[in-house]
Amino acid sequence: MSPHAEAVRPRRGTRPRTVQAWIELRAEDPEASSAESVARTRLASGAGLVALRRLRLVELRGPLPARRDVEGLLHRSIQFYNPHKERCQVRAAARDPVPVRPGEVAVLVWDRDGERRPAAEHWWDHQTGARIEVREGTVWLVTFAPDGPPGGRARRLVITEGRDSGLLCNPNAQEWRLAEDRVPLEWFASAPEPRVASATAEGATR
Amino acid sequence: MSGRVAVIAFPGLNCETESARALERAGLEPEIVRWTRPASVLARFDAYVIPGGFSYQDRVRAGALAAKDPLVDALASESGAGKPVLGICNGAQVLVEAGLVPDDGVVRLALARNRMMGRSGYYASWVYVRVEPSRCVFTRGVPPGTVLPLPMAHAEGRFTSSEPALIGQLADAGQVPLRYATADGAPARVFPDNPNGAEGGAAAVCNRDGNVLALMPHPERAVDAGAVARRVAGPWAQRRDEALATGGEADGPGMVFFTALRRHLEGA
Repeated sequence: MSPHAEAVRPRRGTRPRTVQAWIELRAEDPEASSAESVARTRLASGAGLVALRRLRLVELRGPLPARRDVEGLLHRSIQFYNPHKERCQVRAAARDPVPVRPGEVAVLVWDRDGERRPAAEHWWDHQTGARIEVREGTVWLVTFAPDGPPGGRARRLVITEGRDSGLLCNPNAQEWRLAEDRVPLEWFASAPEPRVASATAEGATR
Repeated sequence: MSGRVAVIAFPGLNCETESARALERAGLEPEIVRWTRPASVLARFDAYVIPGGFSYQDRVRAGALAAKDPLVDALASESGAGKPVLGICNGAQVLVEAGLVPDDGVVRLALARNRMMGRSGYYASWVYVRVEPSRCVFTRGVPPGTVLPLPMAHAEGRFTSSEPALIGQLADAGQVPLRYATADGAPARVFPDNPNGAEGGAAAVCNRDGNVLALMPHPERAVDAGAVARRVAGPWAQRRDEALATGGEADGPGMVFFTALRRHLEGA
């Protein structure tokens, strides 16, 4: 265990809780720019797309120390983000803000059965003596022109069904969750979108 | 025979030169077609190769952005007319994301992150693949059961589907022309024989007509028998040693696919 562990070791009996780390590039994100360009120019579901941003979402669950200590650990480690090129916003309670702007629909995408980060979990254990679960996925923040229900259009942009349909998630190997109004604090564990025959159906709503 | 083959190079691909050389060695006429060329140019070719690399830097997902390119729409049209298309590694990812395998138009597969016991990320090694009964153009004339050693190098090469029975059904239909195997041809069960955890040990999947093949290993890196890795066993080890001893340029196992393409285009 790290010599610093005593300072951040959770007290016995600490109840497990969840903290989210929203991580965004400080510079313009070329991946989001490419996705936005392809969506807008090549996909019917990209019509009316105004903006597309990408963040990484890391969820930590377990006996976590105080928020400030979590922030310090995330900042100190190379397992989570690089503070020289990324900024990190920690959300420790459901009422805490998330970096989602008005009008944006948030979509979380992750590799099925591939969201856990064992190296980060080992690092945390070594640093704090606490065993936690670390999950990571990509959050796409989608803004459409305000002329229709954004959730339905976002779904069509997410689910890859063919060359001209969907981009952000290949459901054969990935999971996704969409949040229009409120992002759950335990987003990975939230209920999946109902399976529909085709996500292109306008009725494919939650 | 007309054997003009377009080697389609999206930004970030890095195996176009080796792929063109392999085609040339098979007696074909390759031309590297960059993504900046109009899609209409593809009509004048007889066959197509999408080589390996990292198209569009693997942004969003490996192969996901290239799959939306107008060149791939043209490729779908040409392959629908029966022209052969070979996607190698990232090229295979493009074909899968474009829905060109296993059926035109619908994305029913993914090439997901490798599942490897005790490790994660990118994995590069030589593996064995076994030729299975199939209508695939690129293995035509190769007896089922033939074992080929080939190099592989990828982080996302695990054939999988949200339809649990799909890959088994594809195998039954002859659309899995290559499976990972042991050196003696037994089905690969676990890592490292199955280097990525692919369902059914699938190393390649083709479309129903057998003219479009998504192949994860890199045959273009195995065109010289002398370049076969030292740890490879079996008949290819003997051919490697002979090639090295004589300094000759005997064909390596990767040539099988390019030679089969030439034979197909010759109408043999």
